[in-house]
Amino acid sequence: MTVLQEDIAQLIIDTLNLEDVTVADIPPDLPLFGEGLGLDSVDALELALALQKRYDIRIASDSKDARQHFTTVATLAAFVQAQQGA
Amino acid sequence: MEFHIHQLRAWAPTLDTDEAWQAWAHHPTHLPDNNEQPSCDFLPPMQRRRLSRLARMTMHVAWPLCGEQEQLPFVFASRHGETPRTFALLSEVADQQPLSPTQFGLSVHNAIAGQWSILRGQHGESVAIAGEADTFEHAMVEAAALLSDGAPAVLVVIAEERPPAAYDGWIDDVPFSYAVALRVGGIEAHAGRGWQLRLESHQGTSTPAAWPHALDFVRALHAGDDTLEHPWKTRRWIWQRIP
Repeated sequence: MTVLQEDIAQLIIDTLNLEDVTVADIPPDLPLFGEGLGLDSVDALELALALQKRYDIRIASDSKDARQHFTTVATLAAFVQAQQGA
Repeated sequence: MEFHIHQLRAWAPTLDTDEAWQAWAHHPTHLPDNNEQPSCDFLPPMQRRRLSRLARMTMHVAWPLCGEQEQLPFVFASRHGETPRTFALLSEVADQQPLSPTQFGLSVHNAIAGQWSILRGQHGESVAIAGEADTFEHAMVEAAALLSDGAPAVLVVIAEERPPAAYDGWIDDVPFSYAVALRVGGIEAHAGRGWQLRLESHQGTSTPAAWPHALDFVRALHAGDDTLEHPWKTRRWIWQRIP
């Protein structure tokens, strides 16, 4: 797990108030929504807001790719890195 | 209105057992409120994640009063609602920050009643009310209406949370956070532990009750008092124990 991936996993825990969940419980390839961690659409909105604040990036709400970016911690980390590099 | 109190459960910081409430009822004191909250560990963490402190207090007191397979009408009553959430959202507006979708979505008075319905699979009526200092009695009026409409029992929760300091001078009737759940039924089928509630008109000024009305009722139950009077503005609520 990269530092950024760990950082995002912790952000998910803190933002969504996931008591008793640790970074180790969210491996980079675990699906975040539905089966897997079990997040839902309200969590997605909350997480998008937290990511934008934390990494000073913009996430277009109408982006067709958003769903893919939000699949796992690994895809989120790749997305954040790409946005920061842009 | 006449009620049989099937069960009552109350929570306040450091007061969580019948014995503790019994002791408090005999020597009611102002409790320090250090943001303690019930753990609600009967719920998995993923279901707890959107429960605020007031929601946890509500779930904690209401949970054991409704059977696993039971559907009960639910009355949620709070004069002030979730002031910490409201204050946090307003602060974000003032700072021109984007609002948290979760916080915004839950910032309605019936959010906790909705969470109760989801977590307990309740499909029946629920009511969320806010009144004045006599919100407790208004909640009981709602319960009486549901009972007379045919409900065998009604679950009533009165919950208040100590507001942020910014509300000092505005909110003066929440000495500490508390939640009281009552499971009530009509009086016919049961003997004892009955209470009658009457409303009379009230003129002139009188000192408001020393404790929030719901807490005063808990106190009276434990202390064995037979009557209670809760005057507020033009209304005088009289609670009388039915022997």
